[in-house]
Amino acid sequence: MNALVEVDNLNLHFPIDGGFFKEKLTLRALTDVSFSVEEDETLAIVGESGSGKTTLGYAISGLLTPTSGRIKFGAALGGHSQDRPVQLVFQDPFSALDPRMMVGDIVAEPLRLQGVSRAERLQQADDVLEQVGLPAESARRYPHEFSGGQRQRIAIARALIAKPKLIVADEPLSALDVSIQSQILNLLNKIKRDRTISYLFISHDLGVVHHLADRVVVLYLGRIMEIASRQDLFATPSHPYTQALLESVPRISRGRRKPGQALKGEIPTPLSPPPGCVFHTRCPRAQEVCRRQVPELLPAPGRPEQLSACHFKD
Amino acid sequence: MLRYTFFRLVQAAFVLLVMTFLLFMLIGMMPGDPVENMLEGNPALTPELARQMRELYGVGVPLPVRYWHWLTAAFQGDFGFSSLYFRPVLEILGPALLQTLKLMVATIMLSIPLSLLLGAIAALRPGGWMDTVISFFAFASISLPNFWLSLILIIVFAVQLGWLPASGTPLAETPSLGLQIYHSILPVTVLTMFFVGPLLRYVRASMIETMSSDYIRTARAKGLSETTVIVKHALRNALIPMVTVLALGFGMLFSGALVVETIFGILGMGKMIFDAIRYVDFNLALIGLLLATIVTLVSNLLADLAYAWLDPRITLK
Amino acid sequence: MSAIDTELAGIPSAPRQTIWQLRRKRFLRNKPAVIALAILLVLSALCVLAYPYSLLMELDPNETNLLMRFRPPSAKHWLGTDSLGRDVLLRLMYGGQVSIAVGVLGTLLTALIGILIGVWAGFLGGKVDAFLMRLTDVVIALPMTPVLIVLGAVDLSKLGLSQALASSPGAVFLRIVIIIALVDWTTIARITRAATIEVRQREYVKAATVSGARHLYNVLVHVLPNITTPITVAATLSVGRIILFESTLSFLGFGIVPPTPSWGNMLTNAQELVISAPALAVYPGLLIFLTVISVNFVGDGIRIAFDPRSEK
Ligand SMILES: Nc1ncnc2c1ncn2[C@@H]1O[C@H](COP(=O)(O)OP(=O)(O)OP(=O)(O)O)[C@@H](O)[C@H]1O
Ligand code: SF4
Ligand SMILES: [Mg+2]
Repeated sequence: MNALVEVDNLNLHFPIDGGFFKEKLTLRALTDVSFSVEEDETLAIVGESGSGKTTLGYAISGLLTPTSGRIKFGAALGGHSQDRPVQLVFQDPFSALDPRMMVGDIVAEPLRLQGVSRAERLQQADDVLEQVGLPAESARRYPHEFSGGQRQRIAIARALIAKPKLIVADEPLSALDVSIQSQILNLLNKIKRDRTISYLFISHDLGVVHHLADRVVVLYLGRIMEIASRQDLFATPSHPYTQALLESVPRISRGRRKPGQALKGEIPTPLSPPPGCVFHTRCPRAQEVCRRQVPELLPAPGRPEQLSACHFKD
Repeated sequence: MLRYTFFRLVQAAFVLLVMTFLLFMLIGMMPGDPVENMLEGNPALTPELARQMRELYGVGVPLPVRYWHWLTAAFQGDFGFSSLYFRPVLEILGPALLQTLKLMVATIMLSIPLSLLLGAIAALRPGGWMDTVISFFAFASISLPNFWLSLILIIVFAVQLGWLPASGTPLAETPSLGLQIYHSILPVTVLTMFFVGPLLRYVRASMIETMSSDYIRTARAKGLSETTVIVKHALRNALIPMVTVLALGFGMLFSGALVVETIFGILGMGKMIFDAIRYVDFNLALIGLLLATIVTLVSNLLADLAYAWLDPRITLK
Repeated sequence: MSAIDTELAGIPSAPRQTIWQLRRKRFLRNKPAVIALAILLVLSALCVLAYPYSLLMELDPNETNLLMRFRPPSAKHWLGTDSLGRDVLLRLMYGGQVSIAVGVLGTLLTALIGILIGVWAGFLGGKVDAFLMRLTDVVIALPMTPVLIVLGAVDLSKLGLSQALASSPGAVFLRIVIIIALVDWTTIARITRAATIEVRQREYVKAATVSGARHLYNVLVHVLPNITTPITVAATLSVGRIILFESTLSFLGFGIVPPTPSWGNMLTNAQELVISAPALAVYPGLLIFLTVISVNFVGDGIRIAFDPRSEK
């Protein structure tokens, strides 16, 4: 396998202007995040709201500049950050499409920015629209004429037209009706079968992740708790946080599960994350050492491919 | 809060400094020769002194240099002489400012109850006929040219009916308060007509918002009478942010005062500035405009501070 | 594939009512706005007809005739004559051309400045935004009328213009338009900034950025077309304000200078006329009032018609 994108020790902080009444604060959205996305794989990012999933997706697509650390694009991506073949699919299919543009122009926009002639790019837009299951005459309509699921198809078409190697999909299903969700999921699978493409699939729905992902990254308060293949993660979760997450999803939780591990308490604020292991305020296994020492992301016992950041990992 | 106040004060001082420069440049571009005007405007200047001043300021010396001389003099309290009145400008502008403030305070004192009353009545039944009439009145208020309204009032009440004087300044040396008020009726009416429209639109909007809030629903549920609910709760709630609206309207009112003072012959700041510019009294125009700017800056500053003090969302932070 | 195919049934076959049809319908339901629009159209038509009218009646708006001062209305002079024996109606028609032209051109310039500053501040954010918004605050804090008078008094020949050019009617007209725009842009700038900040955060802008769009592209292609509504509303409302500014300035003698008539300068000497010919003091102001209040009602109508919350 070839690494498509390597994320190396990424930190991303937002300076928060506390107004005139308070000191300037720093919101640590991502701390020491390292992982890679391989060619032709679906890597899922899971975590609760505010854990930094969107921030991570934006950093990889170049919308946010890291505070420190590197995001390196592999040979397949030309290594050049200016024209990184990354595209985004967003959660909200309504604000994702410019209401003043015709669908054909929306889909063709990435080509327009590459300087492709209008006739040529509209031709390609028709083709891609068909690939995502919309009739070509959609091109001459405006977004408000389409339903949420149809709009998400349009957004996917726009992402596909530039032939990206990586699509960052930020909770692309969570704004849709359940029946539509499976259609979009099928579409994403079909696209994956037809071409060599990787997905960075951001979700907090472990059911969907179970269905789609090759590997999974678990984020908590901007830090990686665990990285593992789907099989390992769901069969033998190593990190107490992962275990707690799985606990809350009955239909896929199977195998060994200790009782009483469901998540309790509130997520601490990323303005002042807890010292030591960031999860210790909610961890059923927390010991004194957890409050002092940040656990490193290391292989779980006997499973070299499964990395987990816990002093007492399984 | 202290830090914020300090920050805003420093900022206002800086803005004022920039304004002195901009106004100096602008006034320097008025017709005529400012140095000539300055010399003319000071009877104390002997020909010998005049020659020295010419050397000091220098006809043909570039404006920025002249500005520097002016600024250093101003910091020592020397604001120059008026060429129009042959007196130091501050001596003229002091009473003028007082006159204008009287006019503005009278207008505000009238406008607040009037806008609260009309705004509250309009908000009772949005879309009803009372609301329609009051809204039309508000539109008229922001659409009336106030110089024309002044003329019409003079024609009707002074010329045709003869009830009220057309002049805003009594002739008596030391006019009684009653006489002063009598002469102020028309000018204050014009200014109130001009000021009440925006205020009442604001009161109406904020009343409608408050009336539909949970807070008022609770008050109603407690069985309080409708009058109590409106007067004690909704109106009072609308009153707090009105402080800021008032202060922000200060600059607008000052502009209106200029026109009204000119037409009714009131020796206020507005008329002073107007005459100074018309007759190219460099010093008087400059200091008058600066004073006017200070007044509006201070009112804006107070508005911001009041907002920061009163608005719970900000103080909570 | 079947799951995908079933979804195709939902594609609308004919476009629904366009947003513009909806807005027009909502505007037309607003009686005061429609009446105001009709008044504006009639007034504009009257002003446009000034020249044909002068030919028809063989009148000259600027030719003085001291034997004809203060004549009452007659068959030739429908509204009588003024203090210099000129036809009042014709001067009102020409004055209206000036007022309306200043209102429209001033608004265009105001909008141009306001949009540039607002988009710039809103799109870039940060220090640029902070600086521009402080600048806006300062301009708002200025006492408008005094500042306008100073600007109106500036001797253009000191700026390097020749005396003849500086006092030509064209230069005087342009100067009014420019100085009013210089103080009036703040409202539109603030509204544009707020709208820009909202649009900038939309995800279609992010998608374009990821595909390589620069600021200029995003502003031109995505931001501007999506903020036309609040700008249109604000601009309509500023037409009325600008007409008032112009008439006040001209009244005070720092705007349009006689003999060119404007509704404002026709009232300049009215203080002396209030006894001898009060009607002369009534007409120009009434027309200003009628125009401005109509513009404001139309603006309010547009605001309501464009507001998505007012749907049904
Ligand atoms: N532009 C920003 N400025 C300041 N803070 C931000 C900004 N964007 C995100 N944050 C903060 O960074 C943290 C991570 O946000 P992020 O949107 O990446 O979370 P998320 O995992 O995508 O959550 P969700 O599931 O709600 O989408 C949050 O605490 C959020 O408030
Ligand atoms: S390091 Fe300690 S607190 Fe953190 S997850 Fe492991 S056991 Fe829990
Ligand atoms: Mg998110």
